[in-house]
Amino acid sequence: MKSENLNPNNVNSRNESLMDSMNDSVVDGEDGLSERASSSTRAARPSSFHNTSHVLTVALSKGRMQDEALTLLGRAGVEVSGEALASRRLAVEDVAGCYRFVFVKPADVPVYVEHGIADCGVVGRDVLLESEADVLQPLDLGISRCRIVVAAPDGAAAHVYGMLHVATKYPRIAAAHFGARGVPVEIIQLSGSVELAPVLGLADCIVDLVETGRTLADNGLRVVETITESTGRLVVNRASYQLKAVAVARLIKALREVTTAVESKA
Amino acid sequence: MNSLSEIPGGMRYYFGAEARLQRLIEDGCMAVFDGWSYEEIATPLLDYYALFERGMGHQEAQRAFRFTDADGRLLALRPDVTSSVARAAATLFAGRTRPLRFCYAASVFRQRSRSHAEWRRESRQAGCELVGAGGRAADIETLLIAVEVLERLGLRSETRITLNNVEVFNGLSEKLALDTGAREEMRRIIDTRDDSALQEFIRHHTEQTAPGGEWGLARLAGQREVIDEARRLIFNSRSRAALDALDELWGVIEQLELTDLFEIDLGDVSGLDYYTGLVFKVYVAGAGSRVGSGGRYDDLTVNFGRREPAVGFVLELDALTEVLMRRATMEPAQTHPSGAPIVEPDGDAAGLFREARQRRAANSRVRIKQRDEG
Repeated sequence: MKSENLNPNNVNSRNESLMDSMNDSVVDGEDGLSERASSSTRAARPSSFHNTSHVLTVALSKGRMQDEALTLLGRAGVEVSGEALASRRLAVEDVAGCYRFVFVKPADVPVYVEHGIADCGVVGRDVLLESEADVLQPLDLGISRCRIVVAAPDGAAAHVYGMLHVATKYPRIAAAHFGARGVPVEIIQLSGSVELAPVLGLADCIVDLVETGRTLADNGLRVVETITESTGRLVVNRASYQLKAVAVARLIKALREVTTAVESKA
Repeated sequence: MNSLSEIPGGMRYYFGAEARLQRLIEDGCMAVFDGWSYEEIATPLLDYYALFERGMGHQEAQRAFRFTDADGRLLALRPDVTSSVARAAATLFAGRTRPLRFCYAASVFRQRSRSHAEWRRESRQAGCELVGAGGRAADIETLLIAVEVLERLGLRSETRITLNNVEVFNGLSEKLALDTGAREEMRRIIDTRDDSALQEFIRHHTEQTAPGGEWGLARLAGQREVIDEARRLIFNSRSRAALDALDELWGVIEQLELTDLFEIDLGDVSGLDYYTGLVFKVYVAGAGSRVGSGGRYDDLTVNFGRREPAVGFVLELDALTEVLMRRATMEPAQTHPSGAPIVEPDGDAAGLFREARQRRAANSRVRIKQRDEG
């Protein structure tokens, strides 16, 4: 037994919590030779426990979806002052102080939420499918509606029985789609201007996000098939869903009311 | 950089205060288990893959690190402890009086894609298993053990334990006459709380819209009112029996005045192929994912030739260490408080170590000052 306080029976018999005895045994040498760690070292680690406060941290996808999400939130009664947004701060709070918004790249939203750094997030279904993040998706917000499609040059052969070369920003979605159809594919991962790939002869077809289809048409491509629809989703961290149940439920309810209102109008 | 300096992904060191804290938490868990008369069991680190495949189901067992034995049979680094405990209960301990109470603290090894949060391939678990006891009292016993551990860690006010009974889902799935694929689809939808997808799914699988229209996944989580809500929507006898069981369990929790720790979450439908009744998950503020899980697995031991009820849970020691480390009053890298140095008096090595042994006999911490020490 190295130390009195580490004795499990001792821990067991005392009324104090393990935490107390932990502090004793780690900080205090039993012979009193060691110094008690100064409490100022506490500041060396982040002292705020994001999950214990009542403010919900919400990660929003930067770019177009950010504006649509903020508009929707505004209709749901969550006001963010234009001044705060213009400040380009990393995190902005809403006027009522119930939410803290952080703006990150779309692909990073599920990352922040899965780690619990953000309790909630707003992100496209395309990003969620690609990330395979383990997050809850309680609400389809219906914003930034678009499709994930397979597109090929006009007049391309309908079937390739050898290896199909697919250029995409969505390697997982593309692999899953062709895999389910038993089509052998080589996925060529690109990070932008995917529609150029067939034009330049890098790929036979592409898997990409399409809103109006104009970019495709401009490059002589047409939609061969729609893999799935994508809209902005509310995502929630699994632990936050339980530990901040009231606040999360309030946000879901407020957003559900405004999204269903939009649907019934349409 | 030398490739020898690399550490495989998902593996790590524990050192100093963090290592001591993890050991303390582990010892604390084992002390609580001991207090409830659970006997420690150590299971083989390496075992036949077939054991885990039967024990955990194909899907989960696939994540194990696999090797071949000298005779060509497939081995695995244990991805879970329960399978091995269940086998021992049905074989080695077949002649023992029931119930059996086992506990353990052990590392388990699982492959997982790197994209996930808290990516670990080795994780340390403390767990207990109550084999050969069915019914509510056994369920409550394990829940209270988990509660006691969390209380002793000083985490009571920040803990939420969600309760569900997998038979609620199984009853629904049976009522809708779902095939395996559709069942998994519904499970996934409920698991991610995808409300609109569930409405769609139920509309698609039922003729009448009446029950589907009212389903709101947000209503699946909460306290006792969730059961009443569910009773208004679910009529098949299998699900109803499970709801009754949850209701009775909640009644006891109320009488024990522990409702602040618990929540009913009918949306917790992970691990359906493994559990047969009560399931629970443990969440603690400061940890982004769950720190523990458990439930009833009455069908597991039948794989090893003896059907008997069983219930148990595991706590994730890495996650608990991380949470508690963050609120402790020391730096993670702080080294062990060292004892008073003993210096060798004029080349008298024996004298040096005589003093060291005397101090150790008095249980004082010593530190031998080595010659090349500054």
